[in-house]
Amino acid sequence: MYPVFLAQWMKDKRKPYLILLFIGLSILATIIFGDIDRIEQTTVAVYSTESNAEELEQKWMELLGHHDSIEFVWMDQEKAHAEVLEGNSDVALQIMENDYRIITANEMPGVFIVNQHVHQVFTEEAKLVAAAGTNSTTELRNEVGEYLKTPPITIQTKSLDGGELANHDMGMQLLFGFTLFIAMFTIGFKVNGITADKVSGIWNRLILSPVSKTNMYIGHLFYSFCVAFFQMMVVFLIFKYVLDYELGNFAMIVTIAAAFTLSMISVAMLITGFVKTPEQFYMVYPSLIPMIPVVSGVYMQPGTITNPILQFIADIFPLSHGVEAMMDVALYNAGWNDILLPIVIMLLIGVLAMGIGINIVERKK
Amino acid sequence: MLETIKLSKTFKEKKAVDEIDMYLDEGESVGLLGPNGAGKSTTISMISSLLKPSSGDVKLNGLSTIKNPSEIRKVLGVVPQEIALYEELSAYENLKFFGKIYKVKKDILEERIQEVLEMVGLKERQKELVKTFSGGMKRRVNIAAALLHKPKILILDEPTVGIDPQSRNHILETVKKLNEETGMTILYTSHYMEEVEQLCNRVYIMDHGRVVASGSKQELLSILSTEDTIQVQLSKKSDALLEAIKGMAAVRQVEDTNHGIRVISKKGSNILADLVHAAENVGTQITHFQMEDPSLEDVFLHLTGKTLRD
Repeated sequence: MYPVFLAQWMKDKRKPYLILLFIGLSILATIIFGDIDRIEQTTVAVYSTESNAEELEQKWMELLGHHDSIEFVWMDQEKAHAEVLEGNSDVALQIMENDYRIITANEMPGVFIVNQHVHQVFTEEAKLVAAAGTNSTTELRNEVGEYLKTPPITIQTKSLDGGELANHDMGMQLLFGFTLFIAMFTIGFKVNGITADKVSGIWNRLILSPVSKTNMYIGHLFYSFCVAFFQMMVVFLIFKYVLDYELGNFAMIVTIAAAFTLSMISVAMLITGFVKTPEQFYMVYPSLIPMIPVVSGVYMQPGTITNPILQFIADIFPLSHGVEAMMDVALYNAGWNDILLPIVIMLLIGVLAMGIGINIVERKK
Repeated sequence: MLETIKLSKTFKEKKAVDEIDMYLDEGESVGLLGPNGAGKSTTISMISSLLKPSSGDVKLNGLSTIKNPSEIRKVLGVVPQEIALYEELSAYENLKFFGKIYKVKKDILEERIQEVLEMVGLKERQKELVKTFSGGMKRRVNIAAALLHKPKILILDEPTVGIDPQSRNHILETVKKLNEETGMTILYTSHYMEEVEQLCNRVYIMDHGRVVASGSKQELLSILSTEDTIQVQLSKKSDALLEAIKGMAAVRQVEDTNHGIRVISKKGSNILADLVHAAENVGTQITHFQMEDPSLEDVFLHLTGKTLRD
């Protein structure tokens, strides 16, 4: 087993670019796409074409201004439109006496957030105006403000274990998703070494040697495991200690990563069984693998994929189980018992796929 | 030492090897000759226990190797037709890997690597990556890898395919030396007649999965003792002449060669005058002719009706 393992290492030692590239890609993809949920301060250009524009500016800018991630800036109509057209701002807001209009060039996620906030402010104001009748709205607003300092009913939302309810962190999901997804490529390309050895005749040489077939497979597969596992660990450690991501119990993340790697190696072995040459594998594997995170909903908010067929397909690959277990650890402080099921499922997928895969490979002469 | 008994292999409906009986005595150098697709590689795969026969047996010192292949694997070195090496590793690293695989003891592995590198003439270039080698050099490393564990029997499957004459000569010299100086038993397959003639004491000729003839070179040539071989050169080639010669009663076979035509005729039939007339009749001239001693190539042509390169 060790000579087979070492030979693979010697090959990669000379050309480590693929692994380094994959590590870089995992980090880059997470940083680029993971920031969708961590929207920076959005600037919204506000204007009015009404005759009492100054009065409206004073009133609405104060009411709209209480939002953490949206900054409202008053400007004239032309400039506001130009900001949107040139892409400097996703949204402009036209204020009327008791109404507003959103001006945008496309359906960006930020537009929805701005609209939600503005709609809430205008609705509240309309309610206050209606309730105040002929009296002063400002006085009523202050009165309501004072009243709400000690509200008669309060709603508290807590998680099942009584702790704070965690917000779903899409950036974290993408970190796990991309890291596991890119590791799938590393695993596939390494497992493909078996097919390459078979085609080149090296495998026959090994068969004629005193090394057992089990050891030949273990040598290759253990090496694939080590490389992919190392790749994932490097990414996780960089995010944990350099980019300050809170990954939860790291030992559990490591365990899940190990189970995922084992399982995915088996899936790659199964795919190896259906191809005859390494070139065929290079064609089939990269065509198939990118579909798995899409079907598994790794790039989307939880609950987006509702089709039972897609859910079934996602379940037969280890990616969705791996990401789900890692998210449970990182966001919901899951314990060992909580992640046991996804680990067992991944190992089960591994046992089945490995059994079938090796069987097919061995039958193929 | 090693024998095959009615060894057969059928792939689906096609019989690739059909009841082959062969034997190799200790220290012998035996050639397995045949055109592409004759079944040589399949036979070798079965002998070396890589492929299970459909029927028949392979015996090493009287014991069947089919059920217990470990015994033959211990004494066997196989040089496959393909370059079974890691191209990203150096020649030395490849040999070290195969040495470890074959469980050559650590303390003698280094010495063995240098020995086999010396044998194949690549000692000076052992640190270079295999992918930078020429085809001939790769084939030499391919042979070296099969010699590390000092096998008693060396099977070489067309080891000189597609290489330069210099490397080819080196390989032939190495194999000859291994057989003569170390007493290693050799089974050499090729479709190059001259290689087998040069290296082997005995030859098996295969065609369509069957052994069509076997014996020493002299024994095989005696098959043609009733025939003459005439090499004829023409001023210009003519298909009509070829047809005319085929029609002659004393002619057994006619082959169109690069230089002219080769005619195998009944011994003592003296057809030279007929050949000259036939050439004149179709408007060409014989510029040169030569009576040749029959070669194994002629034997093969006689037995199969085609040349080895067909």
